[in-house]
Amino acid sequence: MCKAGRPDMKPAYPQAGSYPQFADLVDTERSQVDRKVFHDEAIYQAELRQIFGRAWLFLAHESQIPGAGDFVRTKMGEDDVIVVRQRDGKIGAFLNSCPHRGNRVCMVDAGKKARGFICNYHGWSFGIDGRLVGTDGKVYDTDPDFEKHAITLTPVAQVASYKGLVFGTFDPNAPSLADWFGPFTWYLDVMLDNDPEGTEFIGGCIRSEIECNWKFPAENFVGDILHAYWTHQSGAQAILGGGVDLGPQYDERAFQASIYGHGIETNLDKTGNTKTLGYPELVDYVFSQYDKAKDRLGETRARMVGAISSCTVFPNFSFLPGQATFRVWQPKGPNKIELYTWTLVNKSMPEHIKELYRRGTMMTFSPGGVFEMDDGENWEYCTKANEGWVTRHQPLHYALGISSKIDAPDLPGHIHRGSLNDANQRYFYTRWAEFMRFDNWSDLMTAETAPPAKAAPGVAAE
Amino acid sequence: MLHVKDPIGANLDRPLAGEDFRAAERFLYTEARLLDAENYTGWIALVDEDIRYWMPGMETRRRDDKRGPYAYGEMAYFDDTYAELKVRVARYNEPSAWADNPATRHAHIITNIEAYETNDPTLVAVFSCFTNVRNRNEKDQDVIHGRREDVLRRHGAGFRLALRRIFTVHNVLLSKNLNTFL
Repeated sequence: MCKAGRPDMKPAYPQAGSYPQFADLVDTERSQVDRKVFHDEAIYQAELRQIFGRAWLFLAHESQIPGAGDFVRTKMGEDDVIVVRQRDGKIGAFLNSCPHRGNRVCMVDAGKKARGFICNYHGWSFGIDGRLVGTDGKVYDTDPDFEKHAITLTPVAQVASYKGLVFGTFDPNAPSLADWFGPFTWYLDVMLDNDPEGTEFIGGCIRSEIECNWKFPAENFVGDILHAYWTHQSGAQAILGGGVDLGPQYDERAFQASIYGHGIETNLDKTGNTKTLGYPELVDYVFSQYDKAKDRLGETRARMVGAISSCTVFPNFSFLPGQATFRVWQPKGPNKIELYTWTLVNKSMPEHIKELYRRGTMMTFSPGGVFEMDDGENWEYCTKANEGWVTRHQPLHYALGISSKIDAPDLPGHIHRGSLNDANQRYFYTRWAEFMRFDNWSDLMTAETAPPAKAAPGVAAE
Repeated sequence: MLHVKDPIGANLDRPLAGEDFRAAERFLYTEARLLDAENYTGWIALVDEDIRYWMPGMETRRRDDKRGPYAYGEMAYFDDTYAELKVRVARYNEPSAWADNPATRHAHIITNIEAYETNDPTLVAVFSCFTNVRNRNEKDQDVIHGRREDVLRRHGAGFRLALRRIFTVHNVLLSKNLNTFL
């Protein structure tokens, strides 16, 4: 430091490495996962580097930030990020950390029409495009060596939207968002494109803390409808007056689909999830929209719009079709997450229908919701049990439905018959292992979880 | 018509006095005791059938942000009518409500009680603060602090809860769930 040369303020995007010893903890031959992946600090740090440092991560819904300067603050892994609408209508995202001493430049959750972000420490101020526009006082202005133009909030390397949902990645070399999803968009469109006017989030975001590893809720939403029968008996009884019916008939029209670790399990029962929100009027509404959705999406996907179903976009963005809850499981160390939840509705829905979705998600999938209330403790003790030295050496069983894979030429991805099945969870951990093993995208995009070649199943109408 | 989005209409120059105040105070303590005992059926018997029960999510916003820390119609923990509160009570009474079996140990600590007349002689406006402590299993502890603004409706010699606005001090709920009423 004493030599006092000029700083190089170029944003830095850390490179990935390779951790085959961690990848091997997912044993696909035996359908087992080593519990080390749920508690080990070194593995968690590798996840931040390999997964959260590279994957496309959910940032916001475009409807949250409609005008220039509108912003929300969120997390990518443990990195604090500002997502802000630019004057040209595009969306930018920046690390929320001043390049001077590192302080946050934005302390609030969201705001409208910001002209910029000012660090409270020394008054460095940044435009909504991230560039340093000024400093407090005259000292910097009179220092001939101060290179103001070279200083910026670190931009998230790539930001892109898919039908209203905004994602970002810290990896300049990551494939496009479209390639990241691959044909999984065929399933995302069930929620995002069943109506020509598109979707929006209801205002606000409910956040809560759960002392669990982030992968437990992510794997739950990727394919664990099985737990609903046991975990959620009380909620179903309270809302529907009966338990969750997952009897033999349940699985006849259900399947699991997985592509690059993203997964959806779904029935084709039209309104099974919507019913659990507890408002018959909402069920009638979903039925009333069926023909329109069928014209747009075809029969199979139109039947999925309100069906019993759950989905995770790898690694930590999940939602429940039909129940309209969208959420991110933000990692906070190996033993803790912060859960962000929103409610998604179609823009064209009448106000009273949007209001019923808002109330319905509050009644069901919210910290005080009659379903979510019983999930957290399960995930916490799945995590805490590994404090035991001997316990943590015991294998975990992910082998339900190991012979249930089917060709299903009309459905994109790896398809398994029935949704009472661990199939998507096996693919989720296989994808996790691919991220641990590979330091490059060409391997990542051609590995086992990549979708099998199939004829295009038909795309959503424009 | 009462609505949770509106202020509770307390006439701050007309505080309840004497036995009238003590009755309002006793109502809050009775309610807390029933909730501590997980007697949700007993609790909802103190609730008026036109209840509105609201606990918005609390955002961190700049002082000059016109929206403020909460906005009616946005994401909330509760925005319930009587029918919705009854569904939540029904879940608590199910033997398979696993997050409450084994039982959670509750302490609803109610303080800073002020009660005032409103322009409607059948209604009184009550402010209070709470510390809610939940502890379960060995040492799973969740603590919520906040303020409440209630409207109580006179009912015989006592009251029924007609409206409640709950504002916590928390931005992120520091708990895995909210298995109680506040």
